[in-house]
Amino acid sequence: MVPHILLVEDNALVIGALRLLLEETGHRVSDASTLTDATRVLREDPPDVVLLDLTLGGEDGLTLMTSIDANGAARPIVVALTGHDDAATLERCTAVGCRAVLVKPIAPMKLKSQIAEWLGERGAT
Amino acid sequence: MTRAYVDDVSAERLASLQEQNLELSRLAAELRNEAALRTQFLSNISHDLRTPLTAIITHGEILRDGILGELTARQKDSVGGIIGGGRQLLDMIGEILTYARGAAHQLTLTRTSFSIVSAVEQVCALSESLIAKKQLSLAVTIEPELPPLYADRDKIAHILGNLLGNAIDFTLPGGRVWINCSRGASTERGYVMLVEVGDTGIGIAPEHHELVFREFAQVDASASRQHHGTGLGLAIARRFVELHDGRLWVESTLGQGSRFFFTIPVRSAP
Repeated sequence: MVPHILLVEDNALVIGALRLLLEETGHRVSDASTLTDATRVLREDPPDVVLLDLTLGGEDGLTLMTSIDANGAARPIVVALTGHDDAATLERCTAVGCRAVLVKPIAPMKLKSQIAEWLGERGAT
Repeated sequence: MTRAYVDDVSAERLASLQEQNLELSRLAAELRNEAALRTQFLSNISHDLRTPLTAIITHGEILRDGILGELTARQKDSVGGIIGGGRQLLDMIGEILTYARGAAHQLTLTRTSFSIVSAVEQVCALSESLIAKKQLSLAVTIEPELPPLYADRDKIAHILGNLLGNAIDFTLPGGRVWINCSRGASTERGYVMLVEVGDTGIGIAPEHHELVFREFAQVDASASRQHHGTGLGLAIARRFVELHDGRLWVESTLGQGSRFFFTIPVRSAP
């Protein structure tokens, strides 16, 4: 089955770039620009991996983690996307269960190989 | 003068002083509010500028990495220029934001215990391609058995990165750059770690030794054309060092290279 990636990001340009990258490298992509939309995708079409922007308009992206915990489906791998890789951000993300923190802009080949690795661990490939 | 008259005057003065006090408190609160608003504005602008740049760079890298098909060498060069320009802009936006936070006294230290060796290695690895491109030689000397630093690792790496970046930018191809870390002077509470970042570059005239640490300072416009920074790198580095109660200074002669030194007091983790 083609791995499903949920991209939670509020900027259409960034969604466009990451969607292109992920689709070209063999993934199915859903995107959500708000936490409400993201929660709906999590419920209706559970993804294997969630790429989660930390700043969604006025919302804190990490609050999505509570929806993921409440969601009964197999827990997806959640990876935080941020502009800052300071120690406080890393700590905040790992504390709520993010698998990794990637600093934007993410190198395409690195993202591709890391997703393959995470999916391998999860047995989704 | 009667006692009643004196009491009246004192009461009047007291009331006036209390009023002035209130006015000063109000003004101080207003200034604090303005500084916070300015930083918030810069932070928002920084985020808004970074986001489209992220998209530009990602699209560039998708093309460069051949994900949409192989490019010719000349196409790769052109796309490389887009990516390089975008990354440079991102770095500059980051520096401006860091400076704004420092100016608003919003920088704090997150101290951890770490080896200076790891911070030096990280910064050298990031500069590897620039050093190779300019055919410079880089030497790192670290005194054996230096104890770990209890400091803000990100900020120490930032200081080292800014100093090494300058050394690379202002050194002509074929020159040398170096980093030395050693035990420095003793203090009442122990001793300081002394870090030197030096180069055989264009050097700085003595009358400009303090000017280079000022914001947006340009000592030599022709040299600065080769250097694409914001003019904030050394001002930020000095602020970060001072946050650690250390000192940052330069020893240099025009045409004979520069040696930047900074100290960080060595303290043990609580």
